[in-house]
Amino acid sequence: MSCGELERLFLAGASPEAVRRHAGGCATCARLNADLESTAEMSAGLVLPPLAASLRKSLLEIPRRTVSCDGAERLLPFAVEGEIGADDERRLASHLSRCAACAEAAETLLGSRDLAQPIAPPWLAARLTAARPAKERGLWAWILDPKAVIAVAYAAALLVMLLGFNPADLARRVRSGQIGENTRAAVTVAESSLTDRVGALQEKIARTFAIWKGRAGGYGRAAVSNAMMFLWKSSTTKERGGERSRNRDGRGAFKGTEMTNTSWRA
Amino acid sequence: MSAEEKTLVDRCRQGEDDAWRELVDRFGQKVYSVAYHFTLNREDAEELSQEIFLKTFENLHRYDGSFPLVAWLLSISRNLCIDRYRRRKREKSFRFVSDDAVAPLLKSTDDPAAEALKKERTKLLFSALAEIPEDLAEILVLRDLDGLAYEEIGKMLELPDGTVKSRLFRARAEVARRIRERHERRGSAGAFQTLALAAGGVL
Repeated sequence: MSCGELERLFLAGASPEAVRRHAGGCATCARLNADLESTAEMSAGLVLPPLAASLRKSLLEIPRRTVSCDGAERLLPFAVEGEIGADDERRLASHLSRCAACAEAAETLLGSRDLAQPIAPPWLAARLTAARPAKERGLWAWILDPKAVIAVAYAAALLVMLLGFNPADLARRVRSGQIGENTRAAVTVAESSLTDRVGALQEKIARTFAIWKGRAGGYGRAAVSNAMMFLWKSSTTKERGGERSRNRDGRGAFKGTEMTNTSWRA
Repeated sequence: MSAEEKTLVDRCRQGEDDAWRELVDRFGQKVYSVAYHFTLNREDAEELSQEIFLKTFENLHRYDGSFPLVAWLLSISRNLCIDRYRRRKREKSFRFVSDDAVAPLLKSTDDPAAEALKKERTKLLFSALAEIPEDLAEILVLRDLDGLAYEEIGKMLELPDGTVKSRLFRARAEVARRIRERHERRGSAGAFQTLALAAGGVL
């Protein structure tokens, strides 16, 4: 076992003479130093194993067999789109077989193409239909909208009140003759026109009502007549014991019924 | 030096065939030597060299020029070398070193006796190397067999120079002690064999 001085001298970079000087006075270090010199002589005489020409050629072809991580990054988008040549595809595959990081990136990118389409929940169609924007309404639809009519009426009333126009006051002034001749004539014309129109409308409603009333009465009477005929026919059939009277050729409808049925149409 | 090496790497990244050829010619022998010293087998060393250069090419974008290219090149492939070394170490025949394994490491001479003695001593060296811990063995291989500088070894193994030197001294001492002990165990038979080889006899 060495005294440790030999190692200290070696770490300090001491010269071989300094080492031999110490070894000359220390038996254990002398033995170790002799062993070290012998071992150094063994390794010093060795040569490097020659690099074979075939190996050199193979090493030079590496750029044609694989790609770097940079190259893989450039090729992956084309691979995803399926727009990669056979050589590049082989080089990329070679790289991905060894580089875990690039392989994971490629798996993520390429795997996104094969994802299944998500199945729509059953309520989605109904909700989408309900959420469809309303069909555009025309100008007349807006004008005739009940809410719009009410709003316009309120706005007009408010405007009239704000302008100080009071319809009740106008009527009173017409009766008491506090307005001008022209205004009175205009109001009178308007009043008679309105009365005429209301009268005409009432007359039309009454006439329409009478028509529908007559039709309803006619249909009602026909229905009652049919019902009575049906009851009468049923009782007659029972009395005959279920025999049916047919046409001369033995086919067709009941003779009596046929005549009776057509009677109310006349 | 590193700036020039960084330029070389950048040219390789840009796909310049000449730059890649220069890189292979400059470092191919060194990488193959390291691989061979770890594997002591031509096929394994060639396969390992291919893997090292493949990994180098694929990781060129990681080199920033902050330390020697050879150290970076060997550091990114160190795991490959150590994996292969451990795999070999698990084999029963690991400590048995064949003539064929050391043959590429010997100079051919006209003196067959001296050549035989040299071969025997080289086998002894590698057998002793196989018995010491791998963290010591790899430093001895890199320094004494492959001739890497302390700085390059330190960068490759991520160790300070002092630790590299200290481990190197311990590695040499361990190997030297084992070689001497083996001589002593062999006794007179070993001494006779060595003397016979030295005298040019054939055993």
